[in-house]
Amino acid sequence: MSFISLEGVGFTYPESSRAALKDISVSIGEGEHVAIVGRNGSGKSTLLRLLDGLRTPTQGRVEVFGLCTGDGSNLPAIRSGLSLVFQAPVDQIVSSVVEEDVAFGPENLGLPRAEIKGRVDKALRAVGLEAERKSPSLFLSAGQQQRLAIAGALAMEPRCIAFDEATAMLDPEARKDLLGRIDELNAQGMAIIHATHDMSEAARASRILALEDGRLVFDGLPGDFFFPGGSGLPAPAERLGFGLPPALRLCRELGIEPRLGESLERLAARIAASGAAIGDAYGAASMSHNDGASHEAPRPAPGEAGDPVGPAFALEEAGHSWLRGTANERVALRGVSVCLQPSSLVAVVGRTGSGKSTLLQLLDALAFPTGGRVIAFGQDTLAKGTDLRSLRMRAPLCVQRPEAALFEPYAADDVAFGPRNQGLAGKALVARVREAMDKAGLDYDLFRDRGSRGLSGGEKRKLALAGVLALDSEALLLDEPTSALDPETREAVMALLAGHAASGRTVVFATHSMEEASRADLVLVMRGAELVASLPPRELFHSAYDPAWGIARPFAAAMAIALAATGIEIQGQPLTLGELVSGLKGSLAGDGGRAKEGAG
Amino acid sequence: MKDLEFFRNISIGQYSSGDSLLHRLTPATKYLWLFALSIPGAVGGISGVAMVLLLALCAGRGAGIRPAFLLRGVKPALPFFVLAAFLQFLFGWPGDHSAALFTLGPLSATAREAAAVGMAVARTVALMVLLGVFTSITSEGEIAHGVEDLLDPLARLGLPVHRLALVVSATFRFIPVIAGELESIVKAQASRGADFGTGKGGPFARARAYLPLIVPVTVRALERAEVLAEAMEARCYTGKDRTRWVVYPKVRGEDAIRALALVFCAAAFAVDALLR
Repeated sequence: MSFISLEGVGFTYPESSRAALKDISVSIGEGEHVAIVGRNGSGKSTLLRLLDGLRTPTQGRVEVFGLCTGDGSNLPAIRSGLSLVFQAPVDQIVSSVVEEDVAFGPENLGLPRAEIKGRVDKALRAVGLEAERKSPSLFLSAGQQQRLAIAGALAMEPRCIAFDEATAMLDPEARKDLLGRIDELNAQGMAIIHATHDMSEAARASRILALEDGRLVFDGLPGDFFFPGGSGLPAPAERLGFGLPPALRLCRELGIEPRLGESLERLAARIAASGAAIGDAYGAASMSHNDGASHEAPRPAPGEAGDPVGPAFALEEAGHSWLRGTANERVALRGVSVCLQPSSLVAVVGRTGSGKSTLLQLLDALAFPTGGRVIAFGQDTLAKGTDLRSLRMRAPLCVQRPEAALFEPYAADDVAFGPRNQGLAGKALVARVREAMDKAGLDYDLFRDRGSRGLSGGEKRKLALAGVLALDSEALLLDEPTSALDPETREAVMALLAGHAASGRTVVFATHSMEEASRADLVLVMRGAELVASLPPRELFHSAYDPAWGIARPFAAAMAIALAATGIEIQGQPLTLGELVSGLKGSLAGDGGRAKEGAG
Repeated sequence: MKDLEFFRNISIGQYSSGDSLLHRLTPATKYLWLFALSIPGAVGGISGVAMVLLLALCAGRGAGIRPAFLLRGVKPALPFFVLAAFLQFLFGWPGDHSAALFTLGPLSATAREAAAVGMAVARTVALMVLLGVFTSITSEGEIAHGVEDLLDPLARLGLPVHRLALVVSATFRFIPVIAGELESIVKAQASRGADFGTGKGGPFARARAYLPLIVPVTVRALERAEVLAEAMEARCYTGKDRTRWVVYPKVRGEDAIRALALVFCAAAFAVDALLR
């Protein structure tokens, strides 16, 4: 009897003509740690739903613990042994009180009350939420809510937990915490199935399944996935377009042996140990600059474009409270003062709930300061006589998950909503919509008449972006524009933003990715409703960095610090892999030269 | 409403935890009082409605809920009050011989019509405040368990009481969810030039601005409901053969408090009859 097995499994959603999964045959053993990788819409979530019997295959057979998922009477046994943790933390909470939510599964199993209590206590202890057991579950942070979801799963005492992109909506700290807990559970013998499109996360598993367009295109060890085989072909991860985790890319660039799951410190030590060899090998090594940042067109320095004008946005001691005057009042911003120059790319970073979204809403006059002032394009957003409608259109905000706000049945009509409100019509309107859609990466001729609800997740996000681009505004505000996207679509969105800023507009975006933040001209760090730093990324992530901010460093910066600890000082405070490698080249060539002299 | 914060203006469905006597009552008692107050509120005369409103505000105060918050919750209903008045004044009542108050084009108001409008508004305000207090002191779990406890006798006759309880609690759970989605979608469209909260345009232009919201809000609400249903199903929910883990101990004198609810209901009608 196998633990989990799929034989020739195919699945087509009833409302779709396209198969979501095609001819999948695979088996997973007890205690394995399997990562399922694939782009948005490749079938990862569908596969997990088939395992749990939430969906039954339209072809083939799924067996879990030797039980067929197609037989409804098997489902309680399957679901109590295999738990699912979903992507959106808040959407999987059933009860309003933490401990009651954990008890929900055991209650459904009809267990005696004393046993439920024991299981709830144990599960809460395992995820470190004992102190919050009586708290309202909706007021937990996103990271805590995801831990609550795990507690709910653990209370079922399962043999396997499947995570469906469970880290996609978390900030870096919460993500690190969750990944640590996943490893811990696996070490205790729990089988883990982890669907993700983050290659660093996938590299932690002991086996990788890759899906492309509903087909299983790779099943094997992470080493075979990330390292090139003997045949001279690139590694499957690259061939299939997933890319490599940054540490492995660095190893390849330096021509040293790649190792999975290696800490930055160990890697730094290895680089230091083989320093001279790297310096020598360097001339032959090919350097591919696919870092994005190094490719971008040089931007006019912020504030230099055009006539000398005032800042695009200025906040003066601005504060904001949500639910003011209610029992649940929450201070979201406190005493924030900052000036944002025209034609600059500004990143806003900080943990979940630190005030990023509120800040963006104040800039767009969608929320108003409850203390201090917000000046957008020289106008006080609270002043009488401010034309809010036109002010908002000068700096439209792309809200989180903007695809939720699509409403026109046809793609091009949705994009046209903004320009129509600006008074455009006829040829000018069509031209504007065409330009915006093309810029967002949706070919106008191909997509204009497509149904907006039938698009894939990534396409919907691009359509929503086209909708704000179509306003051709002086500034653009975006709340986590790349969240939950696969790496390829992420890169497309970031290139779009950088290009937009390069054309002389102000772009302000919130993000959890420090790699993205390091591409900005200015980074604002929020912590607990306060602005704790506003600096160019090079300074922010190197000399001024403070771990108390609760944000990580981009890989290149963190690596440079680790290398510095081994005695290799890298010039120029690198932020991208390209900069790191050329910096290393510089310092190792120097060291290598000295080493040779010494040997001679 | 210049700021687009919908959540703030919704007083129904916002539980605020606390340790007041009201919070500690068992859910069944809270429901009993809800019914005892809403019956005179809905069908009683003006004195009954006034008593209900006053008592609800005082009870809220005792549980630490500000009257201003409760009354602000009525704001979203204001357009409906205007609409009700408009219809009332547009069509006359047969046999209405009360004094005419004013005539404005096709609209003509009589004293009787004005009284009817006033009563309808008063009832709605009283009931909304009452529901606001109830949901402020009763968590979603208690809302569901309370229905189960009250209808327990019917469960023995084979009625799907637990499912009914779930429907009730899911309804309350989704009020803030839908308000949140609505807020996000309104903001997305306002920043693309939709006319929300700018204080411009006539009533028709303002009403038209809401049309593009209907599809996305409905779709999002259904999507969220589907995700929740999946999460529940994945945790073995079938609605049958469940254990209930939570029990609610009665506070001291709880039985007397329950009896008092019936007394109040009867008294409200008695006072009404005396004043009439």
